[in-house]
Amino acid sequence: MGTARGRSLASRIRQHRVEVALALPLFAYVVLLTVAPIVDTIRLSLTAPLDARFPSLVNYQALFASEVFRTAVLNTVLVALFSLGLQLGVGLGVALILHARFPFRGSVRTVMLLPLGVPTVVAGAVMLLVFSRSGYLNAVLFAFADAANYLPGVEWRFVPLSWTVAGGWRTLLTLAIADMWKVLPVVTLIFLAGLESIPPDVYEAADVDGATRWRRLIRITLPLLAPYATMAIILRAIDAFRIFELALVLAGRVEPVLGTYIWGRYAPPTNDPYTAAAAAISLFGLIIIFIFLYLRLVAARMEVRA
Amino acid sequence: MIAAVSGPSLRDDVGRFPRWLFGVGVVLSVLFVLFPIYLLVMVSVAPGGAVFGERPALVVTEPTLRFWRRVIERGDLWLPLVKSLTVASATTLAAVLIASPAAYVISRLPIGVRYTLVVGLLVTRMFPEFAIGVSVATRFARLGLVDDYVGLTLAHLIGSLPFIAWILVGTFEGIPRDLEEAAGVDGASRLGTLGRVVFPAAAPGIAVAALFVWLYSWNEFLYARLLTTSQNTLPLQVFQAIDRGAKQQMAAVAAVLVLPILLVVYALQRYLRPGALAGAVKG
Repeated sequence: MGTARGRSLASRIRQHRVEVALALPLFAYVVLLTVAPIVDTIRLSLTAPLDARFPSLVNYQALFASEVFRTAVLNTVLVALFSLGLQLGVGLGVALILHARFPFRGSVRTVMLLPLGVPTVVAGAVMLLVFSRSGYLNAVLFAFADAANYLPGVEWRFVPLSWTVAGGWRTLLTLAIADMWKVLPVVTLIFLAGLESIPPDVYEAADVDGATRWRRLIRITLPLLAPYATMAIILRAIDAFRIFELALVLAGRVEPVLGTYIWGRYAPPTNDPYTAAAAAISLFGLIIIFIFLYLRLVAARMEVRA
Repeated sequence: MIAAVSGPSLRDDVGRFPRWLFGVGVVLSVLFVLFPIYLLVMVSVAPGGAVFGERPALVVTEPTLRFWRRVIERGDLWLPLVKSLTVASATTLAAVLIASPAAYVISRLPIGVRYTLVVGLLVTRMFPEFAIGVSVATRFARLGLVDDYVGLTLAHLIGSLPFIAWILVGTFEGIPRDLEEAAGVDGASRLGTLGRVVFPAAAPGIAVAALFVWLYSWNEFLYARLLTTSQNTLPLQVFQAIDRGAKQQMAAVAAVLVLPILLVVYALQRYLRPGALAGAVKG
């Protein structure tokens, strides 16, 4: 039995040797330079630093006992949820706008794609200009306060604020907004693809039924966009949980997220690759849990409604 | 022109939202995207104290090219620029060569196997780059691939291959098998069919995927950081400028890095059609 199956596998490989040869480089690459390093890191995370005992959970125990780590986990989840919510809401709105016909639509579409060409580190540099204490968000708010004070009965004394180092929700929200700016084009493109995939006769039928535009949006457009929303959420969630460069540049040591926490453990002066590895694997676990919960709780319900 | 806005078109439901609300939406979106880019350029040409204090000015009255000149004359941008450009282009070429044949094969597999492989590729993307990067950096150090164009290209392929393969599986799924069979009936060989029929049909999808890979490599920070001791890439150079904290200098370095790429995105935007991503969703 076993040999029969083995022979048939071998003969099938021989029969499809062109296909095997075409696919081999990709899989060899992924095994050698992705899977093997991941296995290394998992091993490292399960190795006790002092006596090289394996397997051992001391690194994970040390992590979960650390207050900074727990803060980093909480911050990571908050930033990811903030930024996913912002991206999906704004991305959907922008996609709906760009899908309609209006003058200069081509130019507006191009402008909305520009952040694609801005490296994340540069986006971080720009956001420093916007959100620091002598930054331009404060300058704009000052201008608003001045304008508002001309109105009778309004007295708004604006106190400038350093958004990035304020800590707490302000820093996390700053991170989420910075992240949204950078990835808005990708989310918008995904939703635009969804909108373009909706056949016009669906709307024609609704017009015959006399549906209002809000009802059309809620009852027809959004349910048909559900698979695209799921793709956007999964793709973006993976990156949102792994947020690193922006947090490194903007939040510094004020509010750690897992990305910067891992880097801090690994880099000098800490130089502790063991807990860094354990934290990296924990971050992977967090992403898996999120996607599992999302698919179980939200996506399944959306499919039913659609 | 205006009539195009108000005319109710059946294919979109936004054309019928109140026109003023729609206009506000357009203006706000454009401002939101452009304001940071404007700031970057503005600060890079702002003289001395114009960008400090509690209320920095939002416009520059006396622009100066001093900081641009300093950044360009110091000459420490050319090597990073060459490195970033070379690595991004090499990564793109290698990613297309490795991923597109494999994506074609995956797209022709039975749906269960296809789905498992694609999800498997995506799962590798869920590991923080750090979990892969540190071990790769250790191996590369042994092989003398640190501070090396080849080493960084190999590292950037790790991040791009799953993504490009995933997009291309969707692209190839959209190419009907009848096309290949018809070519086969005409006596074309297996590889001849692929080269003359299938891959040309997939070219638009491959082009978009390649563009995303190029941007990924141009963007990439962590692998570059782990695999660099002396020769920076551009993102590393910007990070150093941020660390030094000189506002205008940082803005000038960042602007040098960004403006050419904005032109590239502008020139290529007609290829960035949403439809190119559609295949990936249906898969």
